[in-house]
Amino acid sequence: MAEDMTRQQLDQLAKEFRYILTDQICHMGWGHLGGTFSLVEIVITLYWRIMRIDPKNPKWEDRDRLVLSKGHAGPVVYAALAYKGFFPIRELATLNLEGSRLPSHANALLTPGVDMTTGSMGQGLSCACGMALSARMDSKKHTVFCIIGDGESDEGQIWEAAMLAGHQRLENLVAICDYNHLQIDGRTDDICTLDPLAEKWRAFNWEVLEMNGHDWDEVHSTIAKAQHVQGKPTMIIAHTVKGKGHRRYENLVSSHCLRLADDTAKKELLAGIEGLDFDWTNQ
Amino acid sequence: MNVPLHEITMKDIYGQTLVELGEKDSRIVVVDADLTGASGSTPFRDRFPERYVNVGVAEANMICVAAGLAADGKIPFCCSFTPFATRRVYDQITISIAFANNGVNIVGIAPGITTGMNGGTHMCFQDLAIMRAMPNMAVLSPADAYELRACMYWMASSQSPAYMQLIRSKQKPLRVGDRQFQLGRAVVLHEGSDVTLVSTGYMTQFALTAAEWLEEEGIGVDLLHCPCIKPFPADDLLLSAHKTNAVVTVENQSTIGGLGGATAEMLSEAYPVPVKRLGIPDVFGEVVLDDTYILEKYSFGSRHIADACRELARHQNRASRIA
Repeated sequence: MAEDMTRQQLDQLAKEFRYILTDQICHMGWGHLGGTFSLVEIVITLYWRIMRIDPKNPKWEDRDRLVLSKGHAGPVVYAALAYKGFFPIRELATLNLEGSRLPSHANALLTPGVDMTTGSMGQGLSCACGMALSARMDSKKHTVFCIIGDGESDEGQIWEAAMLAGHQRLENLVAICDYNHLQIDGRTDDICTLDPLAEKWRAFNWEVLEMNGHDWDEVHSTIAKAQHVQGKPTMIIAHTVKGKGHRRYENLVSSHCLRLADDTAKKELLAGIEGLDFDWTNQ
Repeated sequence: MNVPLHEITMKDIYGQTLVELGEKDSRIVVVDADLTGASGSTPFRDRFPERYVNVGVAEANMICVAAGLAADGKIPFCCSFTPFATRRVYDQITISIAFANNGVNIVGIAPGITTGMNGGTHMCFQDLAIMRAMPNMAVLSPADAYELRACMYWMASSQSPAYMQLIRSKQKPLRVGDRQFQLGRAVVLHEGSDVTLVSTGYMTQFALTAAEWLEEEGIGVDLLHCPCIKPFPADDLLLSAHKTNAVVTVENQSTIGGLGGATAEMLSEAYPVPVKRLGIPDVFGEVVLDDTYILEKYSFGSRHIADACRELARHQNRASRIA
């Protein structure tokens, strides 16, 4: 359930998330940093201030849903689920290990609290439309959230789903685009221009809101506002920074997926996180 | 007076059965991609408009919207022509349905040569092969109205991923009367001990004719009709192969990877006996106005099935004499 948290508490939580995400990558020697760091404030806001969920009953039928269409950002959602009590925080240390319940890409069959299996780009928004339609068929009042990537928006299927959601006036669907302007091969502007992105979504009959995806108040107020939009789905274009909060990898194309050659690289990666060192593996 | 099911087109049976299922279970929903009339789901749309979604000409979206509905507890049926219901959306089905284990029922209309006038773009010969290569996916190909209905009842209750070929036209019944669909089982339509004939879907009627002709010649055909390609009815086939030591397969599909492929894979490991696969060779489809044209062109009509059975039965007789 939504909680009131101070700015200080939120900042502390975000720091811990970024530390854990970095530590996990150090442990594995591999992992998605850029696109998980860009979502930290958004995911925390969703799970602590917006979404109605019940960690004791992950399949509670009236819960709000989150489809992480950019499934490679699974680890940031796992951190939220662990902190919320869906499973022990120490289980985060099993990220992407063989037999783990926490694979690199989100898997609803494995992870308590994950609502849809994702990882093949462009499919999640359609799945979220299906969930929103299902809720409407049952006269349910919950919201279906869906986070898509900006690079993912190159997929044609995103726009098939966009057209359908607009046509069906899915007001219970709130999508968030992690617009950090970087994708695997370079800048989105250089590879396949998305702009004018807001106009595109408006043209598909969506309400479009924009926010600084790292400003707590703006993220909270924008998502809360989106939940009250009537008669159409809402796209929130979140202006974010890939790798946000890491001194070395902020706004770098190479932050998408890191491979760490040796212990020195691991030390350097951890050193890029702002003043925090705590043992989370016993929690 | 009620019209017997076999006097109704399979397309209409599909629509009627959807309505029946929808009346029994409010979780049944239909997701179409602009082929409502072509598939036969119009009666469901009219009866349950609130449980019907048309996504337009967007098959990838159809598959994943259905996956989202299934993830939320609904039991979706969605359909398109076989190539667009399967190979066009293969990754969407693989990830959002099979890998995620969302119980969506996918229906491919006008399988293989039955798409006729639409020609090569719509004539898919590999849907059984590619769908059976997918974990978690059941693959069905009913041959008549009674079996279609039984398959749909099973699909509505299984809550697991399934793909079914749907022949749209009226089909001669294999036998009249209500039927149970048994997952992973073949249906023995004709008994004999000289040669095993394995068929599925549209080709079973041709196989049955061949079996009846051969009976008059004194050649006993064990005809195993497979409404279910996956799980493959291996036990039934093994039992028959042990009896006959010779197996002919026939399907309205490529001979690569489908029913013939499954048969050859299983027997080569479990009980190696001569296998002859009949169907479409490694070619694309084309315009077909009359079955005879393409059955003759690729030699898989009743006459060719009988020839293949005769040849293998003769071969086996020779082999057993030598032994």
